[in-house]
Amino acid sequence: MSSFKRKPKSTTGDASSSNKPTSEAATPLTVYPGTRISPASTLSLVTSTGISSLDDILGGGLPLSCSLVIAAPDMHSSYGELVQKNFVAQGLASGQRVCVVGADASAWVREVMWMPDARGVPVRTSGGAERRQGDSDEEEKESEKAHGGKVTIAWRYEKMRQFQTTTSQEGETFCAPFELGSRVPEEVIAEAVGERRLTFVEVGRRVEDVLRSIAQELAMENALPVRICVPWLGTPAWGDLTPQDVLYFLHALRSLLRSHTHGCASVGLAPQMSAAGWGGAGWMDKVGWAADGALMVAAFSANPALSSMFPGHHGLLQTQRLPAPHTLLAPSDRFSTLRGLGGSGENNLAFRCTRKRLVFETLHLDVEGGTAERRTTAAAGTGQGPGTGPGRPKKKRVGFSDDLY
Amino acid sequence: MFRPSDLPDGIILLITDELAAPADFLLHRTLATLLKERQSPHALILSVSEGITRWRALASKSNVNLQQHLDAGSLEFVDVLSEVHPPAAGGGGNLTTNTSFRVLVDRVQAYLDRAQGGSPLIILDDITTLEWIGFSAVEITRFSRALRSVCLKANATLLIRHHIVTPNEPDDLFRHLLQISNYHLEVRPLSSGRSGEVSGEISLHPGFSAPSKTIKLINRSTATQYRLTDVGPVFFAKGTSGGVL
Repeated sequence: MSSFKRKPKSTTGDASSSNKPTSEAATPLTVYPGTRISPASTLSLVTSTGISSLDDILGGGLPLSCSLVIAAPDMHSSYGELVQKNFVAQGLASGQRVCVVGADASAWVREVMWMPDARGVPVRTSGGAERRQGDSDEEEKESEKAHGGKVTIAWRYEKMRQFQTTTSQEGETFCAPFELGSRVPEEVIAEAVGERRLTFVEVGRRVEDVLRSIAQELAMENALPVRICVPWLGTPAWGDLTPQDVLYFLHALRSLLRSHTHGCASVGLAPQMSAAGWGGAGWMDKVGWAADGALMVAAFSANPALSSMFPGHHGLLQTQRLPAPHTLLAPSDRFSTLRGLGGSGENNLAFRCTRKRLVFETLHLDVEGGTAERRTTAAAGTGQGPGTGPGRPKKKRVGFSDDLY
Repeated sequence: MFRPSDLPDGIILLITDELAAPADFLLHRTLATLLKERQSPHALILSVSEGITRWRALASKSNVNLQQHLDAGSLEFVDVLSEVHPPAAGGGGNLTTNTSFRVLVDRVQAYLDRAQGGSPLIILDDITTLEWIGFSAVEITRFSRALRSVCLKANATLLIRHHIVTPNEPDDLFRHLLQISNYHLEVRPLSSGRSGEVSGEISLHPGFSAPSKTIKLINRSTATQYRLTDVGPVFFAKGTSGGVL
């Protein structure tokens, strides 16, 4: 008789089922749907933010009982809101409870992205194969070309891994493959609302009243994890919030999550509040101390110099603080591939928004050192650029513009 | 080589940190050392920011079962914000706030009366947040002064953690805390940014109330560096980390 036994296959593709046998044997931790045990601590459960590269930056995902603040200081873009939408979409797709806090939250949820092959019900496992068939995105074409097309390279480099700036979509059971072009089907929302898996908390009241409503949502039941999503904290609908109110809200929300360990929260700060000096000196540090994790998604659109310097990206990601609910060292410091703190300094991080999704990746200068175009442009009035011909322009006096005045 | 456990008992120690280098490891380490090494330890945690779950989890990394100490009464955990409430956010001030801090001081006093013998440890894990969420600076100043007073009478060690958000411009609360403390333990991140080899550096300065016979201080230029690991910090002299040599 062979001493080897075949492992029983899991009956569903749910992440919880694949984690349950090992985790329950090791610890009494309840593994909820859409969660898994943190690589850093067997006491922590992490859940996906809906963006796999962001999960990597957080050290595997957002731990339950933790709050995450996304600050997006740019007024003219909504990348911070995109992160919140992914957070909500992931909650709906993995069958968790979602509580959206904000004005007109039900309309906002209808704009959430979804998987392209959705047919009215949350699809958790079968998205992968079909999705790849219909792909036409430029970067995926490129990667296909790189994998499929045989390129002759020196033998010593053949085993070298391809240079990657972001993480791959590891498992669609944990982080669903959302696409920005798809919208969440009405049936999914109706079903979630009917089962009270999707609830809304209105704002425009006192901060304490909003917190009380959130506490009620958290206390309702603990069979499913609860995602608290605040898409925009500090918009006019919230009333006239002072820096003290914002910090009180964040601190109280964190205390609530500590006492309800099946919940987690993602809070988006309104653009004007995400500016460094809004709440006085050291404002963003204060926000970082008041939450478990704080990230800043700073888009380039406010600064044309940066967008011309990094044409492949749409903004920078700054990590202010990273959640560490049961460890001294944030799990991200040990397990994040993108941050790369294994034995050296931290990588610079940036993001880009493709037609399909928002991707966080490492920021590198180009091969040529940061400028895509090394040549200088031809002088005006010449067809062929500088040369020695009849069309050569006359020499002009070169001087500082101040000389003219 | 400096270690936090080298500090004498019965002192008022101000610990300051920045967001890139939190000093919570010093609090956890001090508590774990006390609970492990003393015959009959006594400690009280006034927790503003960290929940009991994290204290338990990190103590277990140092082979300390916090629950046992809680059950035995050698450790008491007080969630500050369940005892006192800031003036209501968004209007409607709470007039009883001033007396609420009195509740906390009374509780510390009662604990110290029970914990006779040895040098009990009192930890206030975050005094700055109290100011940020709405308590007035005067109330917090009074609270810290009252804490200092009861700790000095009982020969207890008091650790107060304060967050620095403007390193070049000391705030009023920091100035006050420096006046009432014996020593100031400063935890700073590296100015060159985050590193996998060095998490930060600590230096020790005298407070305004430092005793004349002081222990060996550490100035910033010779600061002790540390690297955080799963089980705790590893201290080493500046410039001698694995990534340097």
